[in-house]
Amino acid sequence: MASLPGLTDPLEPLNVAPDAHQQHCVALDAGAEWRVRIPQDSQLTLTIKQGIAEIFGTELALAMPYTFQGTSMAVRAVEDVALDWSATSPGDVEHRIVSEADTNASHLYNLHFALDKLRAAANAGSSSSSMSTSTDPRVLLVGERAAGKTSVAKTLCSYALKTRAQGPVAVNLDPQQCVYAPPGCVSATPISDLIDVQNNGWGHSTTSGATALHAKQPLVKNFGLERIGNNRPLYLAQVRQLAVSLDARLARDAGLRRAGVVVDTPALAELLIEDEKRDFSLVRELVALFHINAVVVCGSDDSLAVELHRELPVETLTIVRLPTSSGVVLTEDVQLRALQRNAIRDYFYGDATTVLSPYAVSVDFDAITVWEPESTVSGTLEAGREPQARLTPVEINASNLQHALVAVTYAGRRASREEVLESSILGFALILEVNDTRRKLRVLLPVPGRLPDTALILTASRYLE
Amino acid sequence: MECQKVAQDFASILEELTCNSRPIITTLTKTAEENIACAQQLVDAIERRIERCVPNQKLYAFYVMDSICKNAGSPYTIYFSRNLAKLYKRTYLLVDNQTRSSLIRLFQTWLNHSSSTMGDHLFGKEALDAIEQFLIKASTLQQKKVALPTVSGLLHEIDKLASLTKERASQNSQDPRLNTKILVLKQLKQELQRESLAPQALQEVQSQLRKIFSQEQQMLRKQQQQQQPSFQNVSQNSSAVSSTPSQEQTPTPGDSEMIPLFGPTSSSAFFPNAVNILPPSDSSRQVNRVQSLYDSLAKEGLIRPVQNQSIVRLESVLAQNSNEISKITLPSLHLLRNILGDIKSHFSVYGVDILNTPNLQLCQQTIIEDNPAVAQLKNLLYRYKPNKCSSCGKRFGTTEDEKKRERDHLDWHFRINKRIKGTSGVNGTAVKNIQSRNWYLDDTQWQQFDDEEIVSTTRLKNDTFTLPRLGVVSEKDTFDEVTSTQNKAIATDESNLAKKRVVVPESSVEMSFQCPICREEQSAVYDDDTGEWVWPNCVESQGKYFHATCFHEAASSAPQQALHQGLERLKGLAG
Repeated sequence: MASLPGLTDPLEPLNVAPDAHQQHCVALDAGAEWRVRIPQDSQLTLTIKQGIAEIFGTELALAMPYTFQGTSMAVRAVEDVALDWSATSPGDVEHRIVSEADTNASHLYNLHFALDKLRAAANAGSSSSSMSTSTDPRVLLVGERAAGKTSVAKTLCSYALKTRAQGPVAVNLDPQQCVYAPPGCVSATPISDLIDVQNNGWGHSTTSGATALHAKQPLVKNFGLERIGNNRPLYLAQVRQLAVSLDARLARDAGLRRAGVVVDTPALAELLIEDEKRDFSLVRELVALFHINAVVVCGSDDSLAVELHRELPVETLTIVRLPTSSGVVLTEDVQLRALQRNAIRDYFYGDATTVLSPYAVSVDFDAITVWEPESTVSGTLEAGREPQARLTPVEINASNLQHALVAVTYAGRRASREEVLESSILGFALILEVNDTRRKLRVLLPVPGRLPDTALILTASRYLE
Repeated sequence: MECQKVAQDFASILEELTCNSRPIITTLTKTAEENIACAQQLVDAIERRIERCVPNQKLYAFYVMDSICKNAGSPYTIYFSRNLAKLYKRTYLLVDNQTRSSLIRLFQTWLNHSSSTMGDHLFGKEALDAIEQFLIKASTLQQKKVALPTVSGLLHEIDKLASLTKERASQNSQDPRLNTKILVLKQLKQELQRESLAPQALQEVQSQLRKIFSQEQQMLRKQQQQQQPSFQNVSQNSSAVSSTPSQEQTPTPGDSEMIPLFGPTSSSAFFPNAVNILPPSDSSRQVNRVQSLYDSLAKEGLIRPVQNQSIVRLESVLAQNSNEISKITLPSLHLLRNILGDIKSHFSVYGVDILNTPNLQLCQQTIIEDNPAVAQLKNLLYRYKPNKCSSCGKRFGTTEDEKKRERDHLDWHFRINKRIKGTSGVNGTAVKNIQSRNWYLDDTQWQQFDDEEIVSTTRLKNDTFTLPRLGVVSEKDTFDEVTSTQNKAIATDESNLAKKRVVVPESSVEMSFQCPICREEQSAVYDDDTGEWVWPNCVESQGKYFHATCFHEAASSAPQQALHQGLERLKGLAG
């Protein structure tokens, strides 16, 4: 009887499609981590029901929905946590729970408090005597690809912010990462308030309106190329400019100076000059530029730390190794591209919580000047010549500029290439369309207004809307 | 005063002692040990707590006292001895039986404690003696109550029931059923006297009897109410009476034995139906009736003092207590945990200074090894600041300064949320605030920048933000020009604006222009006065033509933005 058509459960066909908004529950014991990998095309929303949970050191509010997309992250339970989550395609979300023994949280706490003691000492020192024996922690994070450097940087900044009114300056030296800026930049950002855990680029730089969390005011230097190896002198020049400005800022702002600096670096392989002998000159340069007094080696064994002991001036700094968390994931190239694309989109259009309105203008070919840095990959170099920290003019046409991200400098349109190179940047513009026949461009600006009458620098990033 | 503050903190933690929490008791003991100078205030705090808190929490406060006295000893023992007996007795009378036995066990430890150490008593001898005397009396009473139903007890109950029925019969002699009832009761009594029944059977008989008894009581009361309005005050408590069949508590000579024990005040609290027991003094007739009832009972040898503490009453008392217990709904587990966690972390970092914490030198060993100091310091990151913002998770401490920061922070959230939601326009539609990314600051500006500008939660609306300067030399001229145009535009009022006109330039091919702001075409009109074609309501800026009204609106529409940002927008429109 039951097999007769119509007598079977009529609800059955409806159950074939899994409910996308079905709530899943996860219970975490204190110390455990819930590691999630959310693909680019899936969106995950989680709500902490109970307990204290944090993502890379930033504590989550209770009963507030947090949305994530295209990222890997870990929700750590400081105390027993119950959370609900749902995703647009739950099947694609990889997630698992690991116990405290599998995380490096205890070491991170140790590191944080060791640094915090330095901060406290700096505070005490500055109030008792005017002598500025700089004990404020200036940390350089070094490690191979996928060693968890950026997560450590985020966590250290967040923890420091919890006990002090001012967080440290987060310096990002990896042009592939997008920290308060589109890709291709190095930046320094005082972490003066919470890091936005939902935003893959740490949060928003300032906008003309209201942001749900306090926006940050970064100093951004445009390198414009993808790999440091594409033009090492240019990279160093930009980092130097960043370091000089940071010095000036810290000299003026004692509170910020005492909070210290956390420098996140690109994968070690990017920094080393590639030949048979590993050349650490760039690492040494960074140590000197940022007055580093603590090098934190992110790695699963001691070999790199031992090597750095040989290579760095150990009399002025301490080298410690922080064991890598078992949760680090290698950001694959496809994923990296997606993150960079999103960072460009966020820069102009904002994200789900903060919607921004960019402004498109049309400009004559004659009204703009575009430069581009020398690069080993762009064909601006004669064969065999090493790239210099130099700009070369770019002919304005569709093949050069279509869909390109260009940096808008402060230097006037007719300024010399040296002036342009040394100039700060206002931000970025996106060339939406190049019409060779009408000799017109359509340019997307983040700020409503005319395209500033300043020199532009072509970057290696392309973005097609 | 130092002591006042210590005592205040101490008292506030005592307030949290709503369950038997070892950590809290330990921390309180520690505080007491460390602040012997404040002993008097701390003792006062505990005594106040014992006096004032709800009965089921009194025990924990006693535990605190116990712990302090045993660990810190003098002078706490001396201070506590003064009021100990009074407090103990009062508490004993108010709490349920389970707590009473805990109290007795506690008392026993005091006796043992004093005998095991140096022969000194933990508390003053008088206090301990007084409590002992009290307990002996109270516990004999209690023991009697706990006995199983005995034949004699049941017999007594039957007698009561019979007398009750008899009284009804005397008032209502027409009812033949009452007489039958009396007869049946008599038979039952005889049955009981003759045979020894199993305890279960006895219990069954007892419960049956009680049921009848309460029915009987109600009936009687109804009758009395009908006959006698003056009896009203007795029957007010009718619900309590109907559920508790302990009508036997007539003021018999036997009661005199227990009245001094519990005192006049406690008896009403301990025996909630004592109100019903008191004879209605306003009615001599009532007294007579009760007296006659008593006499008739006494004549039959049914009233003995011990019967006043029968199981019937005990049961009613216990039932009352257990009802109270089941009525108290405990807060949810995680709430309790939260409170406990806050307290724990508050105390674990109390007085901790990171500068004085050992083993925090930045070195490999520090990073790798488990450090108990770090486990303690960890609290600084979380519960040490117990007030968590419900919107963003940011934590705030309990000092005045932090509380102010929290208030400002919440206000800021409120303002920001309002701004994000947008203002509702005139026609009811929500007008979202359109915003866009700012340009980055240049190096010099960034070096001078103070992050207080972006994180300040108390900023006024019209404070100016640091905005990037676009004052590149080559632009200087156009800058000034636009500024002056704009100033002019702002200065003129609406009617004047519409009168603004621009002569159609000779270079223009078309006779109309499109306003870049409203995107509307505006065609030229012929002006007779000047004999030229003009665009009405028009201004020119940087080679572009605008509606004068649109231009004015755009220039003044963003009051919260600094002047040069408005300028930027205009310049953009011009581009």
